[in-house]
Amino acid sequence: MRPVSISQIYLGLLLALLLYLLPWGGFGLLLRPDFILLVLLYWLIRAPHLCNIGTAWMMGMLVDLAEGGLFGQHAIAYIVAAFLAVVYQRRVTLFNRWQQAGYVFGLLLIAQTVLLILKLFSGGELPGLAYYLSSISGILLWQLVIYSKIKVTGDKELG
Amino acid sequence: MAQPQQPTAFFVRGPSPFARLIFFFALSIVLMAVDARLHYLTEVRQGFATMLYPLEVVASSPIRLYRYVTGYFSNQTTLMRENSQLRLQLTRESVDLQQLMTTNNENAHLRSLLEIREKLHYPTKLAEITHIGRDPFVHKVDVNIGSQQGVMAGQAVVDGAGVIGQVTRVYPFTSEITMITDKSLAIPVQVERNGLRAIAFGHGRDETLYVPYLPANVDIREGDKLITSGIDGTYPENLTIANVKHIDRDPDSPFARIVCTPAAGTDRYRQVLIITAPPATPQIETEPTTTSRKPSRHAPRQH
Repeated sequence: MRPVSISQIYLGLLLALLLYLLPWGGFGLLLRPDFILLVLLYWLIRAPHLCNIGTAWMMGMLVDLAEGGLFGQHAIAYIVAAFLAVVYQRRVTLFNRWQQAGYVFGLLLIAQTVLLILKLFSGGELPGLAYYLSSISGILLWQLVIYSKIKVTGDKELG
Repeated sequence: MAQPQQPTAFFVRGPSPFARLIFFFALSIVLMAVDARLHYLTEVRQGFATMLYPLEVVASSPIRLYRYVTGYFSNQTTLMRENSQLRLQLTRESVDLQQLMTTNNENAHLRSLLEIREKLHYPTKLAEITHIGRDPFVHKVDVNIGSQQGVMAGQAVVDGAGVIGQVTRVYPFTSEITMITDKSLAIPVQVERNGLRAIAFGHGRDETLYVPYLPANVDIREGDKLITSGIDGTYPENLTIANVKHIDRDPDSPFARIVCTPAAGTDRYRQVLIITAPPATPQIETEPTTTSRKPSRHAPRQH
């Protein structure tokens, strides 16, 4: 596996932020995967010495700023997901492709649920099940990343 | 020689993940509390949002380019059809306008006879919608003008069909408009048919408004038009808000359940008008000893 430089990570995150800032609307907005969280999880699993919970927090704050919502709600959702990714990072790198996808899907769901709880606390309306569509589209995007041979783990595990 | 050896750290990982989690969690909670309860962070937010602005411009440029290209290559027949349509509409409306002039003159005359203050004209600013909300469950849109162009929080936003909402947050180059369908927004309404006044609330989930706290036998029918009453000091009067979609008169409940659909919609137009001067609020003669009230965050500021 090639070593990762820090500029590579921040470039990826910047691109994810740009994708997030695209003018999404209507059903596309519901389907929009959480690009930033996906990129964060990728780097958290691959290079936890460069991209850690602090990075996740910073990106969460940026999302909150862009969305204009309550400060810190995305930040909390991201750090919870990042924590779970970092704690089991060494085990996750040994998983095969499908196990990894399942784990990442779980993390996406957890992040969305944390966000939902925070929104409900701050007086939001309970959304329908369509709320979780973005996790599903997120994991489909993750599959795309894995199939395009940008591998999270070494070659041996993925084959 | 026989010193107890420290266990060598093979992987330098810094503070444990749990410590980091707790630290950032606490930081977020503090920020959240400060933002939600104390409103100290408005300036900080504005500063950072201005930093994000170039990124937003970059992100929205592909769409703008697409619109430009399709606009450039829109064919002759479409343009001609649109042109004749607009011409027809103009003719129709100019007839109405002539009548309106006469009516306005007559109205002004009658008002002067009755010694009622003249109705004001409201200066407006044209804004273009850049984003339709990043959060699918909050009904907010972003427009391309901000405090640099004289937009202030609390100003009403309308389009050709009716009221859209209210400016809730202003950044230097953009501002955020909360639509009337948002759960946090209430708007004073009046039934056009009989002048009944009420307050409409956004429903939040689907694109509807509801009018609560009205008795079951209230005189509102399906299809009634709700207009602004103009008594709130934010929205000018007689603007269309919504049409009553259906009324549920449950015999078990003392209140009628009235559901309305908004007349204006951000899905139809990309241009909106921001009414930059709030309607003149009546100057209440207060005694000089009363302390000045602090203007609330959403109230229109007086000049």
